[in-house]
This record gives sequence, C-alpha cells and structure tokens, in this order.
Amino acid sequence: MGGQPKKGGVALREKLNWLIHMQYVRQDYEVCLKTIEAHLKECRGLSEYPLYVKAMIKRQRGEIVESLQLFQAATCLNPHNTANLKQVGRSLYLLGRHKAALDVYEEALKLGSEDWEVWHSKGLCNFHLKQYDAAIECFKRANLVQRHDSTYMQLGKVYTLQEQYRTAIEVYTEALEFSPENPELLTTVGLLYLRLGENYKAFEFLGNSLTHDPKNAKTILATGSIIQDHSDMDVALVKYRIAAVQTPNSAQLWNNIGMCFFGKQRFVAAIACLKRALYLDPFEWIISYNLGLVHLNTGQYASAFHYFSTSINLKPDFPSSYMYLAITLSRLDDFENACSAYDKAIEMDEDHLFELNYAITLFNHDEVQKAAKHFAEFQKLFSRLDDEAKKADPEVSEQRDALEKALKAAIDAPEVS
Amino acid sequence: MAAVDPVYLALQRFRRHRYDECIQLCTELLVQNPYDQAVWYLKCRALTMLHWVDDTDFEEEGVADMLLDENATAALPRPGTSLSRPQTSTAIGAPGQGMRPLSASGRPLSGYARPGTGSARSGSRGGVEGAMQGARAGTARPVTALGRLVRLGTASMLSEAGGAFINVDRLDLRKYAARPALARALFDYILYHDHNPRKALELASLATVQTNYEDWWWKERLGKCYYMLGLFREAEKQFASSIKSQPMVVAHLQLAKVALRLDQPNKALELYQQGCEKFPSDTSLMLGIARVYEAINDPVKSVAQFKKVLGVDASNVEAIASLAAHHFYTDQPELALRFYRRLLQMGVSNPELWCNLGLCCFYASQYDMALSCLDKALTLASDDAMADVWYNVGQVAIGIGDLGLAYQAFKIAISVDSNHAESYGNLGVLELRKGNIDAARASFRTVQNLAPHLFEPFFNGALLAYKLGDFQESFDLASKALEIFPEHHDSIELLKLLRNHFTLL
Repeated sequence: MGGQPKKGGVALREKLNWLIHMQYVRQDYEVCLKTIEAHLKECRGLSEYPLYVKAMIKRQRGEIVESLQLFQAATCLNPHNTANLKQVGRSLYLLGRHKAALDVYEEALKLGSEDWEVWHSKGLCNFHLKQYDAAIECFKRANLVQRHDSTYMQLGKVYTLQEQYRTAIEVYTEALEFSPENPELLTTVGLLYLRLGENYKAFEFLGNSLTHDPKNAKTILATGSIIQDHSDMDVALVKYRIAAVQTPNSAQLWNNIGMCFFGKQRFVAAIACLKRALYLDPFEWIISYNLGLVHLNTGQYASAFHYFSTSINLKPDFPSSYMYLAITLSRLDDFENACSAYDKAIEMDEDHLFELNYAITLFNHDEVQKAAKHFAEFQKLFSRLDDEAKKADPEVSEQRDALEKALKAAIDAPEVS
Repeated sequence: MAAVDPVYLALQRFRRHRYDECIQLCTELLVQNPYDQAVWYLKCRALTMLHWVDDTDFEEEGVADMLLDENATAALPRPGTSLSRPQTSTAIGAPGQGMRPLSASGRPLSGYARPGTGSARSGSRGGVEGAMQGARAGTARPVTALGRLVRLGTASMLSEAGGAFINVDRLDLRKYAARPALARALFDYILYHDHNPRKALELASLATVQTNYEDWWWKERLGKCYYMLGLFREAEKQFASSIKSQPMVVAHLQLAKVALRLDQPNKALELYQQGCEKFPSDTSLMLGIARVYEAINDPVKSVAQFKKVLGVDASNVEAIASLAAHHFYTDQPELALRFYRRLLQMGVSNPELWCNLGLCCFYASQYDMALSCLDKALTLASDDAMADVWYNVGQVAIGIGDLGLAYQAFKIAISVDSNHAESYGNLGVLELRKGNIDAARASFRTVQNLAPHLFEPFFNGALLAYKLGDFQESFDLASKALEIFPEHHDSIELLKLLRNHFTLL
C-alpha cells in the first residue's frame, strides 16, 4: 500500500501501514487490532488499510457482518480499489447474499483488469443460486486467466451435480496435471471412478491420495470398501481401524465394518456393528438392507423381513431389496406376496439373479411351468454376461445346474407317472 | 369397639400409618383434657409424620439458589472436581455423547429420575435464562422456593381448623429442652410441620447444652437446621461432631449431602466411603457413591457401585433402572430388557418403564412386543410422560422406515408438550428429508432455544446453513455445537471447511 506521494495529512494516515501489515502477517491478531484501533482513533476512522486489515481479522474470527461493514467503510474511502470491492463481495457471499455479491463483482469487473478471483467468486455465487451454466462459464473464464485448484474443484463439483461424471473427471484430471499432489483432488477423482464402477482406477487414485494424507477418514472408507469388494476383509478391517479412531460415530464406517465381519462369517459381530450403525443413522437404507441380508443368512427370517421392509420404505427404487424381500417371504411361507415382490423387482430391472431366485421359489412351490419360464429368462440373461461376471459367484452356476436338473426331472416325471 | 381405650386406639392408628384418623381422635381427646401429655405427644408425632420428608435425599434447587449460588469454590474448577461441569472429566470405556444423550445439566441421561438430575446446575450454562427454564416435564415453570420445603407453615396452617396445634412462639423452649422425649417430638414438629428452622434451632441448641454436647441426635438435628437456613459450613461442623459422638448412617448421608451442595463431589465420595467402612451393608451409602460417580460423569465406576448395591439388596429400583439404562446405551438392549423385566416383576408399572421396555424390545428386534409395550405406556401415560412416549413411538417408526407415522408421532408429542425439544429436532430432520427447508430451519431454531444442551440441532442447523451458503450462521452454530460436544468429528470438519472459506483471499 506504500509508494504513494506523501503530502501532509495523507502521509500521516499511512505511516503505520507497514507495522499493521507485519503484525497481520505474523498472525499477531491481538497486537495488530490494538495498533489498528489506536491508529484509527488518531485519524478518526479515515484510513483505508487499517480498516481493511481489521475486517480481515474479524472475518477469520467468524464475525462476518462486522467485517462486511468495515470493508464497506474501506470501499467508501477508496471506491476504485478492486481489493476492497472483492472483499465486500466475498463477505456478501459468505453471508449467503449471493445476488448482492454478484452485483458487487460486476462492479469490480468494470473497474479492473482480468482477475481470476472475481470470476471464480462469480462462479461460486452462480453455483449457489443454482445457475449452473453461468457458473461453469465463470469458472472457465477464471481458469483462462489463471489456473487454480479451487476453481477446478468447484467446476468438477458443478459437473458432478449435473451428473456429467465423465466431464467432471476430465476437469479433475486436468487439475491433477497442474497439482499432482493434492490429496483432496485425488480422493474426489477416486470417488468419482468408484461411482462409475471403475474400481481399479478408483483404487489407484485413492491409494495415491492416502500416501499424501494417510489419515483422511473419507479416503480410508472408500479404499476400505474397494478392498472389501475384493474379499480381503482383514486388510479392510485394518484400514477401518485407523478411521474409527477419528470418526467413532460414523454410521457408514460401522456399516462397512459390519459387512467385513459378515464376509468373515462372524454374524454376531456383524449384527452388533450394523445395529450400532443403524442407531447412529436410522435414515440410511443400506444399513437396514445389510442387516436384512445378515439375518437372512442366520435364518432369522422375521427380523430379516422387517429390515428389508424398512429398507424399501426408505428407498423404494432399489430392485435388489425386493428380491431379497421375496426370498425372505418365501422362507416365511408367504408364497403369494413373495411372487408379487419378485414381479416388482423384475419389473424394475432386468437381472439374472431375480429370474433365478424366482424360478427356484416357484419350483419349490410346485409351479413347474412358471418356474421353467423364468428359468429360460434367466438363461437368456445369463448368457449375455461376459465370462468374468459369470464366474464371479460360483453359487449361481451351482444353483443353475441343480435347478436345471430338477426342472427336467419334474417336467418329465408327470408324463411318466 | 366402644370398650377400647381411645388413647390406645389412637396409638394403634398411628402405628398403622392412619395419621389423619389418629389426629382426629387426639383432637377430640384433647378437647376433653387439654393437659393429657400422652395424647399431646401422640398428636404431635402424627402431625409430624404426615409432613415427613426424607431429607437425606438431594433436593431440587430453586431459582434463587441457582442464581445466587455462593457456595461453589471455583468459577472454573479443575477437571473432574465439580458437579457443574461434568463433561470436563473424561471417562474411558464409557459411551460417548454420540451414543448416550445428555440431560439439561450436561451429563449423560441417568436411568433413574432423582431430584437434581434433570435440572441445569448453576453455572453450567444459561445463567438467568437457564435457571428460569425449569426442567420438569409438563410445566415450563422452575422450582421456585426450596423445593419441598414450602414457605413457613403455609401448607399446614390451612388444613387445621381452629388454628395451629402448637403455637411455637409462645412456648418456653427452655422448659421443654429439659424433657428429652417431649423435646424431640416437639423439635420434629417444628422442623417438619412448621418448617421453622430458626425456632427449631433454638430448641436444639438448648437441648444440646442440656445433654452436655454429647447427644448425636441433637447434633444431627442442629446440622439439619443449619442446612435449611443455608449455613452449610455450620451444618457440616454439627454433622461431623455428631458422627464423632456416635456414627450413624443418617449423619453420614447428611454430611455428604452438604459436601455435594458445596460442589465438592470428591469430598462427598470420601465421606460416603468412610460411612461404608462403618456400615458395610448399607445400600443408601453405596447408592450415594454411585450417584456421585454418575454426576461427575464416571459411568464405569458408577455401574460397578450399582452392581454392588444389587448384591446387597436385590430389589433396589434405582440400581436396577440405572444398570438397565447403562446396558441400553452400550448396545446391549437384551440385557437392559432383563433388568426392566425384573422391575416389572417387582410391581413397578409406570409409563416410563413400559416405554423403556418397548424401546429395548425394539432394539432387540422383538417388534411385536415393542409395539404392545409402547401401547401400554400410552394408555398409562399422563400428560407429563405422554410427550416422551410419543417421541419414542416416533423413533420406532423411523426405525421401521415408516416416516409418515414418525412425523405424526412427533407432531403429537409436540401438541402434548409444546416444549419437547427432541421431537422438534427430529421433526426438523424429517422436514428436511421432505425438502421443506424453511420448516426444517425453523424447527432447528426452536430446539436450539429450547434445549441448548443438545449438540445435534446446532450441528444440523450449521450444516443446513452451510449448504444454503450462509456461512456466518453456519460458523456460529457449529462453534456452539463444539462447545457442547468438543469431540464431535463432523462439527470439527465443518468448522475447518468454514475457516478455509474465511481465510481464503
């Protein structure tokens, strides 16, 4: 702020700027505030830089309204300083008054040259106003001026919100070229790949992120879930142990731990963990779903039924829940409702498992014709799968062979007898 | 019946706790012969028994005591040494705040409602506002005066026709002090019936002098008077001296109570321990220890103590209920269920118990039982417990995914008790799920005002404000949430994000 011509009173106002700046940069906020107060009193509040710094300190302490007023005062003193305007805009943005903030930024754009920060902030405001296209435009402009991690992050977030995951990943990878060691970026990319079902790539990114920030609970959770998917339960449990220290009350974490135990066939531990997860977050449908699965496995069909029905109540558009509900119902000897649950699942999604299970249930209740029909459907769907998927679950082919044999016998038998 | 001596009849009635009839009979007899000392004595005892309270129990602190508390020794006590800041002591192996909810006083919800456990202690938070809020269900009013000890004689004057039985001001206390048996009856009458500790004190001091300062009973009563007058240090001296002449359970209890009142939980523990050494099988002393441990947030030791109590007295309601609550919050609803069933077998049947049974059944996945228990609780519940029961019905409804029922249940809970903070909180969450952001925000704000001891509404509000882009509000609320629950990971994370936003240039 120095370097201005000194003439009489004006020079007086700026004589302590260097001191204030030093103290502010050293984060000596108490001392700094004292200096500022004394100086402001001396020049009756008409000094720009002290006001600016005071406002910054106030903001860092979370007193946004006061800081806004101070920034506005500074702007009044020097309306042509873009720094002041930007800060006013930022304060408005932090207070959630996005429209007002946008206006201020427009003003700033008129005054100054190209500035990535203004464009970036404009993008943020647009983002919060749910004007996503405008936001994307702004972020792109900001990146043209100067590239920044945060702009990339926000741009990716907008794309993710619009469910354009591929584009989002492109944005993030571009950002990674620019700063390859940002664990947050790495985690985000990993999670996106996970969402797209590309586990291998996801694992690569997440592992990379973990080397930079080994204690990030979110990353650990995601990594653990991938490891778990590959049935390496013990390794996953070790990972979760690190996360549990930091987030002992995380429902997702307990859910995953529970499923680890389930994978290790330790049902009591699994149920205990899942129940804790459910206690912590009763709205999470997947916990209920998992609890249903565990109970189904332990042969407690009534409990399993309750959990599946809870899960369906909370998330009615997940077809697998209906299939498991149907299996539970058939074990509880409610054939009719089991059938309608199967129908519902099949209506929602095509899956070879639905057809196979339906066929088995039908066959067990002597509906051989129908069973054969659904079995044929299953064969059709199963043949379409690639080899890897076919081998993924040996139980499926086992059941298929068993059912095939039984069906043949059943269809042949009545004609013989 | 006509042949029975009326004095004997009165005595029998006294023994059978039929005090009203006894008093009536005595009054008739006294009309015939006003100088019959036996009858006078009997009536005096009967009147006293009618108004007897067990003053070894801790009492609810009134507004005045809370606001003008001069007894706490330090404004910022060291961790684990004060009842007013229970969260400062860290307990290992105990369920955290995320698992076990807090009561208004900032300590984990106890399994047994005792006087003093529900209310916010002075200094814990809120000041005047906190003191005026009151923690009793069904009423927004706080306890005004010294709880049970209603103002001087107001309650008793009304009930007696023809004025008071004994006009204490006219008595020559010196004369009575010389007659030990009569003096004791008179003292109890003055203290428990008239609630006139000053006069009682006069009599007690005269009597102590008469007995050469050696009678434990009079010293203990002196202490009681001092305690009632708020002179805790003097009371402490008298109780200690009483124990010196003759160790008694009552005196130990009273002495520990004084220590608790002076906010010295560790000293109280020591006193109880001393008492336990002298009276190893007395449950009230053991319970005292357990209560103090619970109050300073050391559930592990308190549970051990409660177990010890149960070893001596297998049907102690307080111990059973506390253990049940402990097991419930440490993920063992099946065990809790057994404790509550034991209570039920003992003949306790109130809405709270049925409600707890219902919840245990629910978390132990016995759904059919859960609903019938809650049903039973609803039929038994009066207005002060109704809201809690409906709230728990709502919880169960969330548990089985029936959000419509949950919403209705919370609404009913609020309609019964418009200050039911937890219901507002859950209603807010449900509204948020429905997408009614403004309604959710309003609900959260209501809870924040109603129950400043819960961290959830603050965090929920902060998260919502953050998502809406109002970082200032979010920052304020998240900081408050952390004040209540310093280890809450999500709040810390949120605050970190906000700080990032603030420091970004």
